[in-house]
Amino acid sequence: MSGDSIIRFENVTQAYEGAGNVLNNVSFELERGKFYTLLGPSGCGKTTILRLIAGFIKPTKGDIYIEGQIVNNSPANERQVNTVFQDYALFPHLNVFENVAFGLRIKKLKKAEIERRVLEALEFVNLHGYEKRDISEMSGGQRQRVAIARAIVNDPEVILLDEPLSALDLKLRTEMQYELRELQQRLGKTFIFVTHDQEEALAMSDEIFVMKSGEIQQSGTPLDIYDEPINRFVADFIGESNIVDGVMIDDYRVRFANQEFECVDQGLNKNEKVEIVIRPEDLHISPLERGKITVTVDSQLFRGVHYEISTVDEVGNEWLVHSTKKVEVGSRIGLDFEPEAIHVMRLNESEEAFDARLEAYGAPGHEK
Amino acid sequence: MEKLSKMGRVYLAIVFLILYAPIFYLIFYSFNSGGTMSSFEGFTLEHYAAVFNDTRLIIIVLNTVIVALLSALISTAIGVLGAIGIVFIRNRKMRNAVLSLNTILIVSPDVIIGASFLILFTMVGVKLGFASVLISHIAFSIPIVVIMVLPKLMEMSDSLIDAATDLGASKRDILTRVILPYIKPGIFAGFFLALTYSLDDFAVTFFVTGNGFATLSVEIYSMARAGITLTINALSALIFLVTLGLVLGYYFFSNRARMTIRPPGGGN
Repeated sequence: MSGDSIIRFENVTQAYEGAGNVLNNVSFELERGKFYTLLGPSGCGKTTILRLIAGFIKPTKGDIYIEGQIVNNSPANERQVNTVFQDYALFPHLNVFENVAFGLRIKKLKKAEIERRVLEALEFVNLHGYEKRDISEMSGGQRQRVAIARAIVNDPEVILLDEPLSALDLKLRTEMQYELRELQQRLGKTFIFVTHDQEEALAMSDEIFVMKSGEIQQSGTPLDIYDEPINRFVADFIGESNIVDGVMIDDYRVRFANQEFECVDQGLNKNEKVEIVIRPEDLHISPLERGKITVTVDSQLFRGVHYEISTVDEVGNEWLVHSTKKVEVGSRIGLDFEPEAIHVMRLNESEEAFDARLEAYGAPGHEK
Repeated sequence: MEKLSKMGRVYLAIVFLILYAPIFYLIFYSFNSGGTMSSFEGFTLEHYAAVFNDTRLIIIVLNTVIVALLSALISTAIGVLGAIGIVFIRNRKMRNAVLSLNTILIVSPDVIIGASFLILFTMVGVKLGFASVLISHIAFSIPIVVIMVLPKLMEMSDSLIDAATDLGASKRDILTRVILPYIKPGIFAGFFLALTYSLDDFAVTFFVTGNGFATLSVEIYSMARAGITLTINALSALIFLVTLGLVLGYYFFSNRARMTIRPPGGGN
């Protein structure tokens, strides 16, 4: 446990009546000043974690610590945590200034102090000069900023963001990703961001928690999770992947697609069944004779940055390839890849065992 | 919206003519110097003068207005809290049951409400008069206020309350700083409706009013029974004007509310 821990969950279980466990024995620790993302499909429990931290619900079992204090029973209005809601939840009867000032007015701060802090917060989110506007006069992106200003003006230690970008169009969303990340770094506060969008998670986070059915599947930096997914679910959820069944022949030797390949993984049992992940961008199109596996091109889509080529090998495995080169549908091509591009996943491996195994490699191929 | 066809407009005109004709007939003869409603002899304001010279009548008008204002105020307060209570009932069946009970009170005939209040007041021993009228007016206005306020409350997103709590608001702050301002248009609508219901209620009042206390509707009824005088016409004309003013006032408030409070979403 590091001394800079700000939020800690200890074996937290959350059950709703008739819905079973939404969270299942979840434990984790968050450090001060980092940008965390809870990533997962809808219904995975990510929003429940947010609501537990905010204090809108109480855990069925387990303990929640904020700054070392158990907060299980402290009500939401007494926690040093502020939330940016998915629908922004701005008060329609108040103008921009009063929306941002809401929390400060509750605290009964002095008028001058309120004015100074509200204007500062609005300045922070680039909404200078919008104080007198009605909420109905603001665009989606501007409302988003008002919601953020309303959260940061209270100077909380932790800011919770519940899918705040999901209602914005693609271009605005990308812009806001940059802004949020930059804002977090300028403020130095802990941000906990909930999303189902893996690109958002990869772009903004210091650390990502990938969740599924009320459990944390894997946590780590975006790079770790992208390069070394722990299981099929994570590999599939984070970016596009080719996942095929394989067998570990020996240390550094793995067999899949009816062939043996050199790889960088070791320390597994001999002849252990594994799953192989190769990212589409790690597959390179090559002439037939130079390719490691031979595939037939099934279909091809132009995606702007690259072609997305769907191919099938001789055993029937599908391989998705991202390439800037165009190929002909129906033709046979070779696929080449580096040993480092092969990622071996054990079946049903726990996160601790997985981390320990990666630690043990220390292989140059994994140090990116 | 499509424009009305010619036939449609004629039809509409006829309907409104039939609806408003008796009222305008009444008002027309309130200016008749003849003293009957059969032949118009000449223009006069003497009936209006008679209304304003009749102190008893003036006191009754004042009574009516006081009962209306008080009952509207009190029933609005109770009704708003009741509506908030209903919205926060978690159990769906329970909530629907309470709502149905509320609706039954609105649709049940005034005569039955009046009669049952009369029985209640005599049993409990409340002296019939100002208090009994006020209490019964409050009682039949509360469901109306609840019905006017509920839609606004239902429309309010739960996350607004979460947001207020998140920003440190206590339950009291949430009520006074978020919920009440948000449903203000509904509160005004409820208040005005309760006011008009109380002003023109006859049946309930007729049952529960005692000797020495009367509201306008009851008084006009007994005046009419004693024999037609054009004072009634003049009085009716004045009441019609006041009602018109109230309706306009109501539209003014609800329009203004619609102008300022627009639901979030849309418009980039």
